[in-house]
Amino acid sequence: MADGKAVAAGPPAAVVAKGDAAAGADPALFTFAEFDRDAGERIGWSNYSYWRSTLHMFLRNRVALFLLVLLGTILAFTFLQPLLPNQRSPTLINIDPATGRQFRNLVPSAEYWFGTNSIGQDLWSRIWSGTRTSLLIGIIVGVVEMVLGIAFGAIWGYVRKADRVFTEVYNVLNNIPTTIVLMLLAYIMRPSFQTMVIAMCAAGWHGVARFVRNQIVIIRDREYNLASRCLGTPTHRIIMKNLLPYLVSVIMLQTALSIPGTIGWEVFLTYIGIGLPVSIPSLGNLVNEGRLIMMAPELRYQLIFPTIVVSIITISFYVLGNAFSDASDPRNHV
Amino acid sequence: MSDGTDKLLEIRNLRVDFPVRGGLFTAVRDVNFSIRKGETFGLVGESGSGKTTIGRAIVRIAQASSGEILFRGRRINGRITRELDSEVVQKIQMIFQDPMASLNERAKVDYIVSEGIINLGKFKNEAERLALVEKALLEVGLLPEFASRFPHEFSGGQRQRIGIARSLIMEPELVICDEPISALDVSIRAQVLNLMSELQKSKGLTYLFIAHDLSVVRFITDRIAVINKGELVELAETEELFAHPLHPYTRALLSAIPVPDPILERKKVLIVYDPASRDYRTDKPAWTEIAAGHFARANEAEAAEYRRLLAR
Ligand SMILES: Nc1ncnc2c1ncn2[C@@H]1O[C@H](COP(=O)(O)OP(=O)(O)OP(=O)(O)O)[C@@H](O)[C@H]1O
Ligand SMILES: [Mg+2]
Repeated sequence: MADGKAVAAGPPAAVVAKGDAAAGADPALFTFAEFDRDAGERIGWSNYSYWRSTLHMFLRNRVALFLLVLLGTILAFTFLQPLLPNQRSPTLINIDPATGRQFRNLVPSAEYWFGTNSIGQDLWSRIWSGTRTSLLIGIIVGVVEMVLGIAFGAIWGYVRKADRVFTEVYNVLNNIPTTIVLMLLAYIMRPSFQTMVIAMCAAGWHGVARFVRNQIVIIRDREYNLASRCLGTPTHRIIMKNLLPYLVSVIMLQTALSIPGTIGWEVFLTYIGIGLPVSIPSLGNLVNEGRLIMMAPELRYQLIFPTIVVSIITISFYVLGNAFSDASDPRNHV
Repeated sequence: MSDGTDKLLEIRNLRVDFPVRGGLFTAVRDVNFSIRKGETFGLVGESGSGKTTIGRAIVRIAQASSGEILFRGRRINGRITRELDSEVVQKIQMIFQDPMASLNERAKVDYIVSEGIINLGKFKNEAERLALVEKALLEVGLLPEFASRFPHEFSGGQRQRIGIARSLIMEPELVICDEPISALDVSIRAQVLNLMSELQKSKGLTYLFIAHDLSVVRFITDRIAVINKGELVELAETEELFAHPLHPYTRALLSAIPVPDPILERKKVLIVYDPASRDYRTDKPAWTEIAAGHFARANEAEAAEYRRLLAR
């Protein structure tokens, strides 16, 4: 390039000299190029793959990557912790062999790392057990709601004839307060892990369906979808190939946010007394127990530990959801 | 000429309404025309006049509220049988206005191009499908290796050719071209137009070519219909329309075509169409054949005047 400029600017003698030098360097550069129509088409070649770019963009976000590893570690540890040596059962009431009384409200120590609760159970193992229960509820409910929400929302949004019926059903379901649905189901079935999961799914899936439906209504009349209709593509394939791939990022964000949301509901349900039975430790149970003795400053550790775990989970899912949503949006792919 | 046998598509009294807040909006009304086999039929009108709506009504994306659309003499709007439906899907295809919006960004060119033949099951095995895709891409001047790429890697002209390949793989008879070049860079418009006319010759296609200015369609169409606010105002052979425009709206459109001569261009008188200039209170206008093959929307008085004009 610099060479070319010099040639253009310099006196005629210099032109000849430089020209000769260049020709001597690489004669191939100065042969006549045949016109080649195919070569004209070969532009902008790249080896793009949607999922590879998504992964690449996601991995570039260090904070999100750290939180993903953190969450993964926490989830793995909740399963590993009971298998480690010298762990107490989360439901075991520890008795002082000397006095025969329970180790009540022991502050954290070398023996009881997170202390004990008001009836002498080991808070360390209760927190891990509770985190496992709550995370599992959150993830199962999130996935079930997503599957139901996508299935119904896609039909609701795309099949015009179904719109009326679905909207009516939604209005009915949506007008029943979530608390009432949860309370009713919790009463009808015995309080248990399954009851919790079923109740939460029943209360939340139609919200996801409406979300998906609205997203689909926004994109369903874009020209590329009309083109597919012109080609006679059946509805299910339009949904699978044309619509859902465009919604990956928003749906993942929604699901990621719903997991801490579900954990929050679990805490709330326990608070109003229809959550998991006391015999199953969960973050809801732990926060609730901590809340009862919150007034005594020296016992606040019983509230602080579970609150920290809930906060970490909530923030992690929030950041992860946003990071994934950004990464999976092809407009951000370079 | 109009003996009825060579009519590939016939539209009778077509009306299309869209539900809008507080009632219905009539995008297209009282539209009558027919397209002969092998010709290029131009449909010209300004933005919002209902051109796309007519095209979409033919491929049945927009529903006709009343009127008839006949393909090879058979009615294809409203309720039709499954066999006729899949026949029409195959025989009538559409090329879209905006190549940036009309390709599925999340699918590879391979899927986009073969979507139609997958729907029709027009191949026996994977190898045959790949061969069909390759042939379709080559026909529009694209390289077969593009099949494994995503649409966003292509230029506007290439994307439009992918769109053409996608519709031509169906082996259609009638192709509705909805302003196929207006979103393209001026430098590649001619290339796409030439490609389309080559394909028309080699495959014996019939085109309904939609455009918003007359200068583009003059050189590629056999006949032109001019549409204004959802109603056809004039229809004639291309040269006839340019030589003897009757309707004031057509004249206004013609006067808007730039002349590539600055002196003439400066002297040119722009005609502005004023719908209020005509009195339709007592004498209602209708779609009238003024001369053989030359139609205009006119009332009795205007029709008489138009006939006098043509006679001169
Ligand atoms: N789905 C729809 N719902 C309501 N109104 C519509 C719909 N589609 C089109 N219209 C209206 O119908 C009229 C005709 O639209 P159409 O797209 O056919 O115009 P066009 O001639 O193709 O214009 P352009 O040159 O801008 O593409 C416009 O006024 C438009 O607003
Ligand atoms: Mg249009």
